[in-house]
Amino acid sequence: MARIAFAWELGGEYGHVMSCAGLARGLEVHGHRIGLVFRELRQLAVVPETRDYDAFQAPRSPREGIVMAIPAGYADIMLGCGYSDPRELAALVGGWRSLFSRWRPDLIVADFAPTALLAARTLGIGCVTYGNGFFVPPRVTPLPPFRVDTPVDHDRLAASDALVLANINYALKAFGAPALESVAELFATEENFLCTFPEIDHYGGRETSGYWGPRVRFDRGTDVAWPQGEGKRVFVYVKRGLPQLDALVDVLAASRHNIVTYIPDIDPARRARLSTSRRHVVSDRPVRLDSFLKSCDLIVCHGGEIATGALMYGVPQLLFPGHYEQLLTAYRLQQIGSACWVGPKGQAADVARGFTLTLDDPRYAAAARAFAKRYSAFSPSEQRRRIVARIEEVLAGRGAILSPPTRLGSEK
Amino acid sequence: MARAFFAWELGGDLGHARRTLQIARELRDLGHETAFAFLDLASLGVAGNESLEWFQAPVVPPARTPSPSPLNPPEILLNRGWGDALGLAGALRGWLSLYSLWKPDLVVCDYAPGAQLAARAAGLPRIAIGSGFSSPVVADPMPAMRTWIATDESALRRIDATLLASVRQAFERVTGTAAPPSHASEVFSADATLLCSWPEIDPFGPREGAEYFGPQDDPQLGAAESWRTGSRPRVFAYLKPRDARFVAILDALRAVAAEAIVAVPGLSKEHSQSLSSGSVRIHGGPIALGGLLADADLCVCHSGPGTVARALEAGIPLALLPQQLEQFLVGRRVVMAGAGVMVAPEERVPDLKGWLAQALTRQDLRRAAASSPIRQRARTSVAGRVAQSLEGRPWRA
Repeated sequence: MARIAFAWELGGEYGHVMSCAGLARGLEVHGHRIGLVFRELRQLAVVPETRDYDAFQAPRSPREGIVMAIPAGYADIMLGCGYSDPRELAALVGGWRSLFSRWRPDLIVADFAPTALLAARTLGIGCVTYGNGFFVPPRVTPLPPFRVDTPVDHDRLAASDALVLANINYALKAFGAPALESVAELFATEENFLCTFPEIDHYGGRETSGYWGPRVRFDRGTDVAWPQGEGKRVFVYVKRGLPQLDALVDVLAASRHNIVTYIPDIDPARRARLSTSRRHVVSDRPVRLDSFLKSCDLIVCHGGEIATGALMYGVPQLLFPGHYEQLLTAYRLQQIGSACWVGPKGQAADVARGFTLTLDDPRYAAAARAFAKRYSAFSPSEQRRRIVARIEEVLAGRGAILSPPTRLGSEK
Repeated sequence: MARAFFAWELGGDLGHARRTLQIARELRDLGHETAFAFLDLASLGVAGNESLEWFQAPVVPPARTPSPSPLNPPEILLNRGWGDALGLAGALRGWLSLYSLWKPDLVVCDYAPGAQLAARAAGLPRIAIGSGFSSPVVADPMPAMRTWIATDESALRRIDATLLASVRQAFERVTGTAAPPSHASEVFSADATLLCSWPEIDPFGPREGAEYFGPQDDPQLGAAESWRTGSRPRVFAYLKPRDARFVAILDALRAVAAEAIVAVPGLSKEHSQSLSSGSVRIHGGPIALGGLLADADLCVCHSGPGTVARALEAGIPLALLPQQLEQFLVGRRVVMAGAGVMVAPEERVPDLKGWLAQALTRQDLRRAAASSPIRQRARTSVAGRVAQSLEGRPWRA
């Protein structure tokens, strides 16, 4: 039995919690003890199976996001999250250290958690990284840019990298740990579970020991049946803050296709407009997607891990990227040919055109199906099984004592 | 030897961190162990070399549409996201995990309602410390904070009920067996309330059931300054640079004060120098108030309890420009005692030059300040006395 701590430090939404909880469960049934250190503890409500795990708040800067420049690379993100001030960074590292020193993990699974990696380094605790291409940058110096829509100032990129490195080394020194030679070195862990494929990697292809395929966690949520009727099947999952929400509602309300919509906390007026036809169903809760997507003709969403997950089912997408990570996913899926996207400044006409195009032009569905076929051997449960097995190899290599599974139960 | 866990969760600036760090240091000197869970870890000022142990305080995601004028303390918590049972449940779970990890005997809460509620759930003694605002008077319904506005009691009861429902739901999700609060007031109740302030400037004072120790700031801390001329009037000011009225206040000081010394924590050295002129000297950090206030004619500030107490201890009247409700409530006590004048946060800014000039001529303000009950009140080693008080309480067996 080993003690394994999951660290989620940056980013938002439900993907991190869902994926970490799924992997944690896979480890728990092998007898390991799980601790969660999460950026947002509210999300634990969607993974009740984690009820018995210790759950801690991840250290975070209250000044997060107060930076002048729009991030062009991973180092810029770090500067916006406590890495611009060496003393604050040391305090954040100290927060992680206290948790790790007390809870004593044998291994840390870091999901977009650079400061957890830093703290683990000061304590000599082994780490693996776990997440999509955006969460772990390619290990080059300076860390590469991810911006593709505007020219990137490489001097500024190098300056960000140098500042982050200097502040990291200040924090390492404060805790008596040796300095790093590069920021990239921080991401040299026992294993990088890079959960994506080259075609959908946010950074494009990279030198790596392997791609593990996207994190797909579609076995949670309410079962919803597709409305029965002529026409195609469309699933819509967007947030109510979508700038073109009304345009989208107009398009959906006028559509003759079968549509299931989930918009968290949607107001009654829009809800009513979306449910005027028997073919249009509005769900008040997250929809369970694993079998639902098998007969879906289009998914309309923001472009998070749900979009890459839907791609593995061969479903084309209309995307409304809300932040840069989602925009990069949207670019990738557009390159594959399976998606069309509308940015935050897109007009109502763009929404209508995008909807018609992705639904009616067979090339989108064909591209999505071709991608899914290329990776037809990919299976989320097999991915999880292999990651668990590799984690146990890492643990064994570190001398952690492993025992056969002590709990009965099926891996979900 | 016992273990005391200090929590700070809400409220800005460094006052909470400073207070708890000082008290904890005194407790450690008495042989006890301490740890911290703070909203803002940067406020620890990297205590790595002190071998302290600190954690991130669990975060409740704030409400999407907060009320601009919360009526009572429960509505402040609703603004801070406590109306969402799932968000609150997550934070409670975070606190409970910390308690089972660190195993405190006592939880000391400096504006840390989540830590306080979780301590209740865990059966740990909980002590509220602060300068008053974060430890409201406990009653049913929870009293209105804006006592000068007629408030319908049913409105207060509605707010309390909303908070209570959410808290009970969160409790159910997280704690299992612990009995949830049955009144909103129980969310705020503590085994003891220790206030680092004076009853005369307690935003919710005068009241029963709180022990007052006086503000524990250090009069020797900060840059040394002194009055350089014999000219009057002399004005000491403590200002925040981000206040919309900042430039206008400085202009008014230049116009009315023969000599003004101004502390503006956070202002750069260059900026401080460029704003300083012959009669007005500006410092970008705290100033040691030691003997400075006793020889001043007026103290201008945002009505933070520390500076207000210092001025009244020196018998000096105040011109107050509060930025938020807590400061306004402190200022209101000063104005009601006749020792100061105030411009409320939402009030239209008057001609500040005329306002200050008039305050300087008012003998009634001077007399009231000079006869303030706070004047000359001793407050030596506040942190040490709070630590001793904590030590003398029943800790967990």
